Amino acid sequence: MQANNQAIFDKVCAILKTHAEADTEITPDTQIAADLAIDSVEMFDLVMEIEEVYDISFPIEEASAIDTVQSLIEAIERITDV
Amino acid sequence: MSDSDDMKTSIFGKFQKLAERVDTLRVSGRLPFGLQMDEMLSQTRARIGNREVLLAGTNNYLGLTFDTDVMEAAKAAIDAQGTATTGSRLANGSYAAHLDLEERLKEYFEVPSAIVCTTGYQANLAAISALAGRGDHLLLDADSHACIYDAARLSDADTIRFRHNSPADLDKRLSRLPKEGGRLVVIEGLYSMFGDVAPVAEFVEVAHAHGAMLFVDEAHSVGCYGERGRGVAQAQGVADKVDFISGTFSKSFASIGGFCVSRHVELELIRMVSRPYLFTASGSPSNVAAAQAALVKIAGEPQLGQALWDRVHQLYDGLTEAGFEPISPAAPIIAIPRPDEQVAVAEWNRLMDAGVYVNLAVPPATPQSKSLLRLSVSAAHSEADIDEVLAGFRSLLEDGAPAPSMAASGS
Repeated sequence: MQANNQAIFDKVCAILKTHAEADTEITPDTQIAADLAIDSVEMFDLVMEIEEVYDISFPIEEASAIDTVQSLIEAIERITDV
Repeated sequence: MSDSDDMKTSIFGKFQKLAERVDTLRVSGRLPFGLQMDEMLSQTRARIGNREVLLAGTNNYLGLTFDTDVMEAAKAAIDAQGTATTGSRLANGSYAAHLDLEERLKEYFEVPSAIVCTTGYQANLAAISALAGRGDHLLLDADSHACIYDAARLSDADTIRFRHNSPADLDKRLSRLPKEGGRLVVIEGLYSMFGDVAPVAEFVEVAHAHGAMLFVDEAHSVGCYGERGRGVAQAQGVADKVDFISGTFSKSFASIGGFCVSRHVELELIRMVSRPYLFTASGSPSNVAAAQAALVKIAGEPQLGQALWDRVHQLYDGLTEAGFEPISPAAPIIAIPRPDEQVAVAEWNRLMDAGVYVNLAVPPATPQSKSLLRLSVSAAHSEADIDEVLAGFRSLLEDGAPAPSMAASGS
């Protein structure tokens, strides 16, 4: 994982841990909904929180395509790069 | 596996979980989402099976569905123009009645532009999907109705959501947008599930400060709020600043159909490009006539709104005195959150046994995954009707615990 990716990963993990079960291990392949038991409402809050942290807005289709931690990181990268 | 089993699995397999959930509801009592109203007895009463039920969940806010003048107008329209238009306004032409209704809406809202659509759903779909095009930015309140989300899917605009009823969050998101492209913000006047009202005046300010236009869906609020029932924007003194107002004829207007009006005459241009306006049959003569007759009543009979609000306060006060905690302040929609879906379903069944129909609202149709008993009040409800609803709700508390399932009570 590249340095920039790593920084985003660390930040995302910290946020995810506040939504997930306390000791769940998080990797880039972790499925956010299935593995962390985050339902669609929590997912919405999570996305809103990440938007706050990075001062971005995910387009709806981008937000609904997020499934794994890696896809979330990539979505953040795409939007912050613009 | 036979060829046809493969076909069935590939198409219907995705509904399996849903089917299981529906089966669970079915064994717990009646099927709340497949209810059959066997006979409509009045604006507020129906026969379901062999039971007469008081209707407290049908969005018939002004009770005009059995109004003599509205019914006569619909019947006369059938006699004069037939039962249907059999085509779109583009292909078959607009009837004089469609154009006349648009003129009446312009007068009522004091705007230069009005477009009538075949349903309320299509009015939002037609207006929003056409107004927000490729390269534009569409900003939706997170609790928006499904038709607004569907409009976003049909539109080529970039769509983002902002926190429900939060002008501050909208402000932040508008600040982040690139300079290019048009900006359209969509909110609702009165939200259909929680019965909460938008701070429209604040949204106008924020939207316009960022060069965005504001679109307010007043489907549930026209007829109920504002002077002459003109809606929440009018009640908050900003109707002349809101860029677009949409609404439906299927609630206070006692018909079916929808509209979008605007202070911008350019709204007329979307008639040429809006697919949900172009490619569907226009409203049938009886529906258009009923809507127009209802508009006359809404604009000219303030006692209807007064009766509605008298009953709203009677019901709201009665429910809160009994210990229920509605989500929002008193409104024609009163939503009472229940601890979970099972409790809500059981209580809904008990209310039906007591002869009271309300809406059962469960995820994913509700914001925040809440399970609700949702009531809507009508001007046609009598004081005694509301007492009957309250008695039904008080009976839910008699055991002091959520009701057991009603396995034997299907009707």
